[in-house]
Amino acid sequence: MPVVAAAVCPHPPLLVPEVASGAAPELDDLRTACLAAIEHLAETAAVLVVGSAPTATYPGAAAGSFGAYGAPGLRFGTGDPVLPLSLAVGGWLLEQSKAAGLPRTYRAVPTATTPADCLQIGRQIAQGNDRIGLLIMGDGSARRSEHSPVHLHPRAEIFDTTVATALHNRDLDVLEALDPDLAAELQAAGRAPWQVLAAALEGTTLTGDLTYNAAPYGVGYFVASFT
Amino acid sequence: MRGGPPVTVGPVADEGDGVLRLGSRSFGVGEFALMAIVNRTPDSFFDRGATYANDAAYAAIDQAVADGADLVDIGGVKAGYGEPVSEDEELRRTVDFVAGIRARHPSLVISVDTYRSVVARRVAEAGADLLNDTWAGADPDLVYAAAEAGIGLVCSHVGGLSPRTDPHRMAYDDVVADVIRTTTALADRALAAGVRPDGILIDPTHDFGKNTLQSLELTRRLDELAATGWPVLVAVSNKDFIGETLELPPGQRGNGTLAALTISAWLGARVFRVHDVPAARQALDFIAVLRGTAQPAGTRRSLA
Repeated sequence: MPVVAAAVCPHPPLLVPEVASGAAPELDDLRTACLAAIEHLAETAAVLVVGSAPTATYPGAAAGSFGAYGAPGLRFGTGDPVLPLSLAVGGWLLEQSKAAGLPRTYRAVPTATTPADCLQIGRQIAQGNDRIGLLIMGDGSARRSEHSPVHLHPRAEIFDTTVATALHNRDLDVLEALDPDLAAELQAAGRAPWQVLAAALEGTTLTGDLTYNAAPYGVGYFVASFT
Repeated sequence: MRGGPPVTVGPVADEGDGVLRLGSRSFGVGEFALMAIVNRTPDSFFDRGATYANDAAYAAIDQAVADGADLVDIGGVKAGYGEPVSEDEELRRTVDFVAGIRARHPSLVISVDTYRSVVARRVAEAGADLLNDTWAGADPDLVYAAAEAGIGLVCSHVGGLSPRTDPHRMAYDDVVADVIRTTTALADRALAAGVRPDGILIDPTHDFGKNTLQSLELTRRLDELAATGWPVLVAVSNKDFIGETLELPPGQRGNGTLAALTISAWLGARVFRVHDVPAARQALDFIAVLRGTAQPAGTRRSLA
């Protein structure tokens, strides 16, 4: 039984209070939801963090920093900060959780990875013998509203609703069938990591629980746990 | 005209000595040039179309000159995303207007905020003195429009964004270093393309391709940009980084704007693009006295 728990979290820099400065309380609920969703990862033997970024794996001690986003004072890990944003947010969340002391690995999946390759990565992860927990970092569309970072796209909301519903219902078929071209057009950074998750969950009986689903700044954020 | 301005002391330096020459005006090192924003757009974030109509636009120019503006910056396209504006429509909004301003104010420096080389060439023919290429060379031909016409060019930094897009999670190892690298490379390219060396400015372009913390860092370290030797233009007026810092909507960012402008001036900026000309003129005149490049208008207190 390889994958024994999983959590899905978003990775906006704004989630980090030192980056958000005075706006930090606006995401208190999202931060709380993320920390709650990853609590049960502490009951696994090791945690694998998956997020969209150019291909690379990083050891658990790899350093993350938010200096590139304006908060140079905050960092974790050892050595020069190397973790890309999605994995840095994942690591930062884990550092605050009961899973902080577990063996940890980071794996980046490029946003352009085909669904077939994502599924292969997910199944490969599931083949190991360790009782691992997955922390899947992924955002919904960055084109959700008139105030979005990227201009409103009419299909953004329905895409995000589809993802949210599929996460909640553990509908692996829907997640595995997400259209990569549409996701790219909608600037939904989570598509590839979610498809890795779906494939990794295939042989399990874990069920989903969506605890956060909103787009307070025009980017879709979801938090879900699989237990 | 404004009354009782401080008197500039010291000569304006000769050619090759850091003097910025735009149109018929020369701005020496230590002298502040004030650029008034007059948009020919129906949808810009701050004025929301107040000077879209012809009469209102000319009246705004006249008022800016009376209030102490040295330059005006004419924009025909809202900076952020919005309704697409065709090249023909941008030409319609800007070319005749530039010619009209030139006729009314022969010595006013006219800048045009455009990223299109076709528009740049036409406004140059109509009398523009400076091209404010806010989208950082998105049209690589624009630099030649400035070179051919013998007019000035503003070299901007937008972190690689395409025109009229907003930044999302822009990341910099060192935002100031990135700005210096990008703007000085554009300035060098302009020089190589034949743009007059005394007509080239660099602009860190606050908010464009930056989050608030990054724009604050640029403001705090503006002296590093000034140290490149290129004249620095700052456009901080009413921008989101001021709004987010003070939690104020666009209509209430005037005081924060003056604070950012003051620090920028103190750290070496030379051209200031603003909405509120009288306020900025007062602040800059005061800073010029503090820096010793101008004398107080009159000092009588306790002296009689």
